[in-house]
Amino acid sequence: MTQASSHGPSGNPPAKQLVSCGDVSCELMVDPIPRPTPDPITITLKPRVARVTFVDHHKPNSRLVMKYAQAVLRDRGIEVRDDILIKDDASVRDRGLPPP
Amino acid sequence: MTTYATLEDIENCMNNGWTDGLPVIPPYGSLVDAMLEAMGWQAHDVVGEIPSQNIVIRAEKAAATAVMAGCKVEYGALLRALTEAVLDPAFNLSGVEVTTGGAAVLVIVSGPVVEDLGFEHGSNALGANCRANATVGRFAQMMRYFCGRGGGVLQSHGTIGHPGRISFCVAEHPHTEWGAYHTQHGLPEGVSAVTVMSTEGPNSSNNHYGDTGAQVLDTIADCLCHFGQTAWYYRSGGFVVVIPPDHMALVARDFSRAQAVEYIYAQARRQTDDLEKVGRIAKAPIAFAEVVPGELRSPLKNPQQLTFVECGGTGGRFSAVIPRWVGSTHAVCKQIV
Repeated sequence: MTQASSHGPSGNPPAKQLVSCGDVSCELMVDPIPRPTPDPITITLKPRVARVTFVDHHKPNSRLVMKYAQAVLRDRGIEVRDDILIKDDASVRDRGLPPP
Repeated sequence: MTTYATLEDIENCMNNGWTDGLPVIPPYGSLVDAMLEAMGWQAHDVVGEIPSQNIVIRAEKAAATAVMAGCKVEYGALLRALTEAVLDPAFNLSGVEVTTGGAAVLVIVSGPVVEDLGFEHGSNALGANCRANATVGRFAQMMRYFCGRGGGVLQSHGTIGHPGRISFCVAEHPHTEWGAYHTQHGLPEGVSAVTVMSTEGPNSSNNHYGDTGAQVLDTIADCLCHFGQTAWYYRSGGFVVVIPPDHMALVARDFSRAQAVEYIYAQARRQTDDLEKVGRIAKAPIAFAEVVPGELRSPLKNPQQLTFVECGGTGGRFSAVIPRWVGSTHAVCKQIV
């Protein structure tokens, strides 16, 4: 909160001295910039190919987690493709990936 | 060294791209909520769309922008009308933002709201050091900047731009010789209104020795048709003429507004062949440009493209001509309710 006290003729800056008596904290700020809505995505609930392919886009620790997940899936009898594909930008749909 | 959380918030906004280049009021949720209430919207109300960019603009974006620009909640009704105006598809907001023309959003406020909200309409009317003018004008430019760039994926390509891209809000005198500005856009005299159009920067039109209205209008007409006017190409925008009281006293003595429009439309002409010599008209003209070799050419396609706004101080015989951006095919005028 800011308080003002006048020590000079009004209307003549800097006639008022501003004193800060506190601050706002722990309050969310609203992003003023509208963002594009991504194109709708289609999810196929029953995969056409019963094989899992992992795609990495450089999240921290992602390769370690994916390799662990590959092992868990294999233990459960699910076919998993060995190589982990790489996509540089997670926000972009990459239609150029090799087929599973 | 003492640190202040609010100053850090301001820096964070600026580092995050939530700025027009100047420090902003951080858009705290509580401030945005108060602004939303003043504007008469709920946070997720859709207030505009840019379909070609898959962008839907919700009310909370406009309210956050109003807070950041420094607007008071008392401006809520005006800001609502202004938001609807700049997001009207006819205004072409994204085009205004990214064009090489470097256009700004000119905001013209007219009617009783000028006095009610304390707008400066006298001295330095085109660049008033007044909170209402400065922040409302800034709000419009920030809406252009925040909403017109595809969520940050498009770039602004203005070749040189002009200072109005920071703030450009003109308030008309509450009492005018020719009637309120918005009557030129079909609204009744007694209401308050906000009008937007995209424009280049103002050209000064100085005449201190003329003592007739015709001399003042001749000077203004000449200002409309210098070689550099963008309008020579397609004549798709038009002009706003700003007349302060000293010039207005001379002009209004001899002309009605309609007569002044017709006078300038007739006088502001230039030989088409001269325009072609300096490269201002395409040598192989396209049909839309309507170039007729050998004839006098007006920078106006029709008289309706010329409007007048009465504002400014006394004691100097200056007027101004504000050319609209070539893509400014529509001015959008909204009543404030």
